[in-house]
Amino acid sequence: MQTSKKLFTLLFMMALLLSACGGAATAVSEEQATEVATATESSTEAATEAAAEISGDLVIYSGRSEPLIQPVIDAFKAKYPNVNVLLKAGSNSELANALIEEKANSQADVFITTELLTVQSLVAEGVFQAYAPAGVDQIPAEFIGEGNLWTGLTRRARVIIYNKDLVAEDEVPASIFDLTDPKWQGQVAAAGSTNGGMQAQIAAMQQLLGDEATEEWLNGLIANEVTFFGGHTDVRKAVGAGEFKIGLVNHYYYHLQLAEGSNVGVVYPDQGEGEIGLFTNATAAAVVNGSKNPAAAQPFLDFLVSAEGQKLFAEQNYEYPLLAGVALKEGVQPLDGFHLADVDVVKAAANFDAMFDLIERVGLP
Amino acid sequence: MELTRTNLTYQKIRSRISPRLALAAGLVALFVAVPLAYIFIRAVSAEPEAWQRLFQERIWKLFGNTLALVIAVTGGALLTGVTMAFLTERTDLPGKKIFRWMLAMPLAIPAYIGGIVHLSLLRPRGGVIPQLLENLFGQPVPTPSPLGFWGAAFILTLFMYPYVYLLSGAAFRTLHASLEEASRIFGRTPIQTIFQVTLPALRPGLMAGALLVALDILAEYGTVALLRYETFSSAIFVQLSGRYDRSAASVLSGILVALAIGILWSELQFQGRARFTQMESNWRPAPLMPLGKWRIPAFLVVLGVVSASLLLPVGVLLVWSIQAFLDPETMSMLFHTGSQGFGTYIWNSLWSSSAAAVIAVLLSLPVGLLAVRYPNRVSKFISRLCQVGYAIPGVVIALSLVLLVNRFLPFLYATPLVVVIAYVLRHMPQAVRASESALNQLSPSLEEAARMMGRTSLQTLIQVTLPLILPGLLAGGSLVFLTSLKELPATLLLRPAGFDTLAVRVWVWAGEGFYFQAAPAALLLVLASALPLSFLLRREQIFK
Repeated sequence: MQTSKKLFTLLFMMALLLSACGGAATAVSEEQATEVATATESSTEAATEAAAEISGDLVIYSGRSEPLIQPVIDAFKAKYPNVNVLLKAGSNSELANALIEEKANSQADVFITTELLTVQSLVAEGVFQAYAPAGVDQIPAEFIGEGNLWTGLTRRARVIIYNKDLVAEDEVPASIFDLTDPKWQGQVAAAGSTNGGMQAQIAAMQQLLGDEATEEWLNGLIANEVTFFGGHTDVRKAVGAGEFKIGLVNHYYYHLQLAEGSNVGVVYPDQGEGEIGLFTNATAAAVVNGSKNPAAAQPFLDFLVSAEGQKLFAEQNYEYPLLAGVALKEGVQPLDGFHLADVDVVKAAANFDAMFDLIERVGLP
Repeated sequence: MELTRTNLTYQKIRSRISPRLALAAGLVALFVAVPLAYIFIRAVSAEPEAWQRLFQERIWKLFGNTLALVIAVTGGALLTGVTMAFLTERTDLPGKKIFRWMLAMPLAIPAYIGGIVHLSLLRPRGGVIPQLLENLFGQPVPTPSPLGFWGAAFILTLFMYPYVYLLSGAAFRTLHASLEEASRIFGRTPIQTIFQVTLPALRPGLMAGALLVALDILAEYGTVALLRYETFSSAIFVQLSGRYDRSAASVLSGILVALAIGILWSELQFQGRARFTQMESNWRPAPLMPLGKWRIPAFLVVLGVVSASLLLPVGVLLVWSIQAFLDPETMSMLFHTGSQGFGTYIWNSLWSSSAAAVIAVLLSLPVGLLAVRYPNRVSKFISRLCQVGYAIPGVVIALSLVLLVNRFLPFLYATPLVVVIAYVLRHMPQAVRASESALNQLSPSLEEAARMMGRTSLQTLIQVTLPLILPGLLAGGSLVFLTSLKELPATLLLRPAGFDTLAVRVWVWAGEGFYFQAAPAALLLVLASALPLSFLLRREQIFK
């Protein structure tokens, strides 16, 4: 009895202590925020004053994983110090499910996705409200949703990453269809069925090649003992470490892995005559219908499309910015030189369900 | 035995059930039953097409996968748990006092955190150990992979055996020495005695422990997802983040819960029988078995188990944490998400788990009172219904709550309160069991006396019953707190934006491959779990 009382007191005090620590940590981060705010204020006072008036919670559902969106949020926070950003990152379809579930009771202000099919199929569900961010006219029209229901942000290419220690340059597969070659059995890594980039690629292939050929390709991957990870970070790290010889990823994962010092190479596949071409995805953002804080959501979209925001995507994550005039990061191969797969996003989005059917049918992990 | 009979006569005299108590217990049962019933309704009302598709393509494979893992881990946990308990309780193993503690402590380490550490060490080619070996020998050396079935079975066994270890340790200590003495007198060797007398006598307790492990494996999400082994739970999770249709997830959930209820039902049967291993007045400790030449091998085996399940994970987390703190970029860049900081995660974890503990204990009171003081079919049914949380995995509770709350209680949707409700539903059985066992030990005559002195039933509850059973309630609360702190899948699915717990942060950071960032959160989680755990271990008199 006596010991248990003592222990409980100890426990309680520990809890208090921890929560006090928690309070202290929050206080520090607020201080930092104010510091940043002060620094910004001195530079452009008038703009900041207007920005300071915008406040409240800004709930962002992001299909871009945390490390790929946090730097942008930090930069936005420096401009709008009074906005309290609440981030929920997950897979595109997981968040899309939540948005549909919450249609009558919306929680999010902004949705960010890593491919256009999800955002396009959500348009049909009436999940978004129209907003044309400042400077949207500088973005190619094909990357703007009908009626300004969403705005494209960046593009990324689906490429093959390989470990140069394990694969000679002339051996590297030049087509995604080579990944089913028994020569690579057990040595290929890719993202699994919950990954937006992979989903979009499958849907695009269904449109261009038909269900049967796509199913054959997926079955070929599975038969070839391709390892499917939850996300691309695992894929790039595994290829970088030599756990796998080749991987199917978005192009910037090659650059990120290279920046970590791995000896990796990249192939932009399917460029030959009569081949299907390079698959690309675009990331996009939209303001959610029923957003409780459009006053913060709109400037956030403005910021994503602004030169400053686009530069962050290009510099920090090697992506292809959609805003005209923003330079690519050094080393990133411009898309102009490639033969791109010709996919109709609207059509593909309408057949989104067929993609999930196929994934289930072949049992893609 | 004598005491039970007196209890029964008392209960016959005062068989008038307080309607208020019955109502309260009934409401609690309803609260527990609704999410469960809802999942079954959703599963049954799913289109026949969804059933057909799933039966053709998925269910048999998932069934096989899940069952294989359950059997392997339960077997592994039984073997490891009983061996460890025997070595530390019944032999002259060197260092057994400290081992007794260390063998129980892995309960404070969520299996997925153990999995993250082992994976980073052993991952084929990419792991620390394979790379070390490759550098040493100049060529890749094949090492056992922690991925897939065997890896998942190995790692889950490492972090589940303490359930069996604790139960069998207590049983080894309390088992009447005369049983084994009789066996020796009749000419059995010590080894024969263990297999023919000791283990059969422990069987009910062991079965109960093993079935709890089995239920945990059915619910396990983090570890199997991490090690890429597909079970029902992880398949439901994938479904939930896949197509815009909940029917497949509902069907899989319905089947999983039905399977789990089957296991829970057998566990409840063994629970009743497990009471036989009780201390009696003429109890005396059994003599220790000298290990002789086996002392060193036995010591090494125990050391190996303790290293893999406790020392190594904590050590690695410690090293990573130090590396995280030494790297200013890691500190500044990744210790926050959105506008949230590290302190918020700690605070969220602590308050939500504490709230769940308090609510679960409060709700368990009427159920326990009704079941213990007025034992009849209805009260027994209510008590058992309230234990069904054991059989509803976190993913299923999350799915059920998302659908239910959004439809019927939209103002609660996407609040941290839903996360707390999920914890309460899932972990209520622990509170109910603790309350019932505390009330069982309290003689009703004390309450009778208070009533005769003119106290109302409510006054009696507050002034007499509660103060006396408080230690038992605290134990139940600590258990709920401990398990809520570690909870992953329901939190992942139900958390509103900006409500991240330590468990969620560990999972997200580790999922991105940022082990250094994940480590401090993981370490803190382990420490926060170790405190209530050591309180429980002391209280149960398992260690003195």
